[in-house]
Amino acid sequence: MVSTRSISVTPGSLTYSDLPWIIEHREDRCTLCGQCTSVCPKEAIHLSHMRQRVPKLDVFSKKRGSNYRNFTGIRQRTTMANSCIGCGMCSMVCPNDAIIAVPGTNENRTLFFENQKGEPNKRGGRRNVQGTTLLDRIMFNRISMLTDPALDAGRHEFSLTTTLGRVLSPEVFLDRKINGGWIPPTREIFPFVIGSMSFGALSPNMWLGLLQGVAYCNEVLGIPVVMCTGEGGCPPWVLRSPYLKYIILQIASGYFGWDEIIRAIPEMQCDPAAIEIKYGQGAKPGDGGLLMWYKVSKLIARLRGVPEGVDLPSPPVHQTLYSIEESVMKMIQTLSTAFNHKVPVYPKISASTSAKSVLNNLVRNPYAAGLMIDGIDGGTGAAYNVSLDATGHPVASCIRECYLDLAAQGMQNEIPIFAAGGIGKNGNVAQNGMALIMLGASGVHIGKYIMQATAGCLGNEKNRCNVCNVGICPKGITSQNPKLYRRLDPDLVAERVADTFMSIKTEVKKIMAPLGRSQSLPIGMADALGIADKDAAERLEIKYVC
Amino acid sequence: MTTTVVKGLNENGIRVNSMDFEKLVRQSAKSSPDLILESYGQHNIGIRLEREGGLNLTVKGPSGQRLGCMGMPGTVITCEGATSDDVGYLNIGAEITVLGDATNGACNAMANGKVFIAGSIGARGLTMTKWNPNYEKPELWVLGSTGDSFAEFNCGGIGIVCGIDPKNPDNVLGYRPCVGMVGGTIYFRGDIDNSFPETNAKLTDPDDSQWQWLQENLAGFLKRINRPDLLKSLNVREEWHMLLTVTPQERALMWSGPMPMAEFRNNHWNKAFGGDPLRDLAPGLDRSLIDTIVTGEFRRKKPYWANCESAAPCTYYCPIHIPTVDRLRLIREGRIDEAYEMLLRYTPLPASVCGAVCPNLCMDNCSRQGVDDSIDVQVLGQSVNSIKAPVPTDPLGKKVAIIGGGPAGMNVAWQLALNGIQADIFEQDSQIGGKLAQVIPWERLSQAIWDQEIKRFLDTPNININLDVAMTTEKFTELQKEYDYVVIAVGTHEPRRIPFPGNDKVITALDFLKAAKSDSPMEVGKEVIVIGAGNVGCDVACEAYRLGAEKVTLIDIQKPLAFGQEKEAAEALGAQFRWPVITEKVTDEGLLTKDGDLIPAQTVIISIGDVPALSFLPETVETITVGGASWITTDKAHVTSSDKVLAVGDVEKPGLATNALGAGKTAAEYIVAACKGIDWKPFEKEVIPQLALTITHYVPEEIGTTEQNQADRCLSCAACRDCHLCETICPTGAISRRDLESNFLQSGQPGSENSYEYISDDTKCIACGFCADTCPCGIWTMNAF
Repeated sequence: MVSTRSISVTPGSLTYSDLPWIIEHREDRCTLCGQCTSVCPKEAIHLSHMRQRVPKLDVFSKKRGSNYRNFTGIRQRTTMANSCIGCGMCSMVCPNDAIIAVPGTNENRTLFFENQKGEPNKRGGRRNVQGTTLLDRIMFNRISMLTDPALDAGRHEFSLTTTLGRVLSPEVFLDRKINGGWIPPTREIFPFVIGSMSFGALSPNMWLGLLQGVAYCNEVLGIPVVMCTGEGGCPPWVLRSPYLKYIILQIASGYFGWDEIIRAIPEMQCDPAAIEIKYGQGAKPGDGGLLMWYKVSKLIARLRGVPEGVDLPSPPVHQTLYSIEESVMKMIQTLSTAFNHKVPVYPKISASTSAKSVLNNLVRNPYAAGLMIDGIDGGTGAAYNVSLDATGHPVASCIRECYLDLAAQGMQNEIPIFAAGGIGKNGNVAQNGMALIMLGASGVHIGKYIMQATAGCLGNEKNRCNVCNVGICPKGITSQNPKLYRRLDPDLVAERVADTFMSIKTEVKKIMAPLGRSQSLPIGMADALGIADKDAAERLEIKYVC
Repeated sequence: MTTTVVKGLNENGIRVNSMDFEKLVRQSAKSSPDLILESYGQHNIGIRLEREGGLNLTVKGPSGQRLGCMGMPGTVITCEGATSDDVGYLNIGAEITVLGDATNGACNAMANGKVFIAGSIGARGLTMTKWNPNYEKPELWVLGSTGDSFAEFNCGGIGIVCGIDPKNPDNVLGYRPCVGMVGGTIYFRGDIDNSFPETNAKLTDPDDSQWQWLQENLAGFLKRINRPDLLKSLNVREEWHMLLTVTPQERALMWSGPMPMAEFRNNHWNKAFGGDPLRDLAPGLDRSLIDTIVTGEFRRKKPYWANCESAAPCTYYCPIHIPTVDRLRLIREGRIDEAYEMLLRYTPLPASVCGAVCPNLCMDNCSRQGVDDSIDVQVLGQSVNSIKAPVPTDPLGKKVAIIGGGPAGMNVAWQLALNGIQADIFEQDSQIGGKLAQVIPWERLSQAIWDQEIKRFLDTPNININLDVAMTTEKFTELQKEYDYVVIAVGTHEPRRIPFPGNDKVITALDFLKAAKSDSPMEVGKEVIVIGAGNVGCDVACEAYRLGAEKVTLIDIQKPLAFGQEKEAAEALGAQFRWPVITEKVTDEGLLTKDGDLIPAQTVIISIGDVPALSFLPETVETITVGGASWITTDKAHVTSSDKVLAVGDVEKPGLATNALGAGKTAAEYIVAACKGIDWKPFEKEVIPQLALTITHYVPEEIGTTEQNQADRCLSCAACRDCHLCETICPTGAISRRDLESNFLQSGQPGSENSYEYISDDTKCIACGFCADTCPCGIWTMNAF
């Protein structure tokens, strides 16, 4: 058989079985409609004309020679630049089920070549670790059976909000109330927050679809969902809209878009939900944000106040950070003042063994409204593979440790801890989130799950797709190319946001009702948790069950 | 008929427990259809009790929980006061009247029968009811109001709540009625708080049949509870409302949220923004939806028909850039004469060079090798041997002097002549043709072919030959004044020598070969040594054998460079190659090597190349010294440092005859362009990548011996062969072929005019790339846009 595209063998030559995703094409079903090659974001597949030699091997015939049979098929390219990412768009558009990308079962040889021109692999997505997570394995055991009245998730009414902001101790609160002191702002929000994904990391249609869905949740469904902008600013009209109150504005070391935010302050119809100061990200702790040049379109450049088509890294640390004490103090104070001390301001850090130090610092800071801790399983639009896969700290024990530390000081009701990183990684979003809440989080942030659930993000922990960084998202979620993002219907995203939060709300009730809780979130209610893993049980100080 | 009284207190005034009371009642019911129960808070009164012909129980004392529990058809229970929880629990047919209030859980899980309450009921009334279609639906009549959580998970029960003296006048059905209701009907009269779930129940007014049912049954209820006086005030249709079950089918049609997203977007979202939320950042940005498979401007790539924009390997690698691919196309099209003329417009010596002496670089990279073997280009060259020269164009009134009549000078003259420029050749020898004429053995370049091509050349108008002209500086200066341009094409006619002892005994290859081709060849000994084992050395060896040598040894200080037909010919005659050998000296006995070996020989010939003889050159023409000899430096157009003086061929650097012909053509084109006052453009096409072609459309076959065979085998790299495969494979029918005006010239090159083109319709093309993947010639390319 002769392939049209036979290439000479070089050190970098790969064959199909070396690739992470293998295209299986059935010639007997293919109608040669061209849709698969048309839609492929990587130009990974092409029409191949092949020729087969059929020797005339009839013993009794004197005639020798060969016949030839020509046939066509869709074949994949084996070059690194065009290797299949398994997104499956070809299957989605195929009218005849003729093509599918399946995970390669051989070892993934492309890993050895993802260093072209000396640049290690960068990608989007999450830590590529498959299987059940620790959060998935946590069970809610302390069921109210006949011992005390069990509740009915469908019938009973639940109070499912959590407090974002500093809660003063009763003595201090009363004192200030009477004597007119400053009472820190708080927000009652749904404990599942759409985590920081920037306008830039996300396409305009995706970002606005999410906000529309959040607005719907608040105004139609009465679920007080908020979303965080991520570090990329916020469109000026949105800043001046009544929907700003559902938005947590993020500020990070790149300061992208903050000129527009400051410019808009005098004209804001309402306050933002909160301000998040990003110091670290769970997916790539110690590494900064990165919007690669592919995605810095005219629109994004305008919003961020940068030139078009340049890489936009945020440094790993704020340039004015000299110590936790000093930096956190001045950042929080500045931002609190900017919004007249009426908006909660809290930092976001990556989970780490030093998270407790940060927390204790915040405990002593009267302006700090909480702490957000992002674990290793968090997602990102762009990071080095090694940062994603190997750098970081799982969120569960970090949250637990911080919470118990607060509890030891009697401060657990005063400064909320939020958790993020891998919540809903395997689809169990409510279960994962509630497990973290019972370990001590006041709420959780979900990003990747939201992209998957509301917009059909194809990325997964088999490294499927995960090309958010280069702006070729086939669903139009993370692309700034209008030819791609116009595939995404913001209305459908918004509808899915509503579906998702209605469903999370029901599941949260289904988790709380058997525990006999309806009027407050079971924050830190770790006696309800069990896990069939002795070491984890011991580390998290929850019950070992089997 | 007798009436039996069953007492709930025993003779000592002590309460009979529920178990014993039930036994007493059951016993009594066997003998009497009418029982009066003076109960004292016993539970489960009337449970599973029936009697053929019916049974009437009148409960006079306080009743306990679950009055009429599991009541059977035909049993009628009247409680003369209020009752406790769960009246009618799991009732399957009894009719139970309570002349006061009932507490929580009335009619829980009732499947049949009727319960009439003269007061109000507590929470969770009419919950979990059932309806077996073989029986009537269960009914709960309440004169007053209900508590919270009424009719939860109601499946079949009919509830009628009259709202007379309700416990809460603002809300006769309590908080959150009908949660999880999947069947049944609720009639009510009075205000409610609308806290019923809209996904389970819908609020309506009774229709005619429902109203009729209510009217028909209302009187019976009021009679049961002894309040017929209320009939008139309850008989006002406008005051009655209903809660009906939302079926799953209806629910599936509702959007899961209470407001359609489009309505939210239009009435709230858009209004809050007053326009697109990005209109300030990106005015006019169109974010509207497009499909996944798109045409037109939404495609990320589009096909482009790059016909003849790249060069076929034959054209690219040929130093003269002869478009063999176009020639073969003309042959396929039956335009044989044009095919011949086209070749002659590139070279005056197609048969001698392409057809004989050239190693055919064009075919080294022939794409056909991916199928079987390259095109046989010699067949093509030879076939043009006797074809007449093309007719020159009108004279331009310019003249050019060409010093040297070798292949480089000849092609300069030929090209100029055909373009109407007078070309005067000044040749030092007594014949033109340079080394092709002087030194290439007739075995490799047959005299008949050569003479034919020389004759054609000499017969061409505008060419004048001056033989036996010794060039001097004075003469050169004269030519510069007299002619518009002077082209130096003197080649290399100064043999290199090595000053080892005895080098005076050594003959140079140039002298030897020139003589060999003349009427007076040199004599050679039986043993001959050739110093320098290149292709010229091989020619020397062959000629030596022809002239009587018996043993020829070619020596070299390195691995011999000889290749191809020259080497094969020498080896076939028995020539030996020895290397590395360094010559110490040459004596009459032969050649003594540095290692001390004597290689016996009577004749030693040195063949290590020739260098230019440039004594005539004025100082204005710069040279560069390489390997002890001077070579003229030129630019891409072969112009020297003196702008009207050009240099072509070996005088720039040694090369093949075809390199010389190519240089000649390029220089002539430059002169023609300059004379016409137009821009000169060098050959700049890139060679088409092998991967762009689709060679599997072809199957291996015999090479064949005719021009037609070669024409049929050509893959037509980078030049459309008009095969319609693109049009055929295109899944959307976007590609079509279009005839062009007949005088349209694609490139201005002879033979390459195109009378058609293929186009892709942007409104149909989905950018699948099939055209590019299929095109045998690599014409269609997919460009990002």
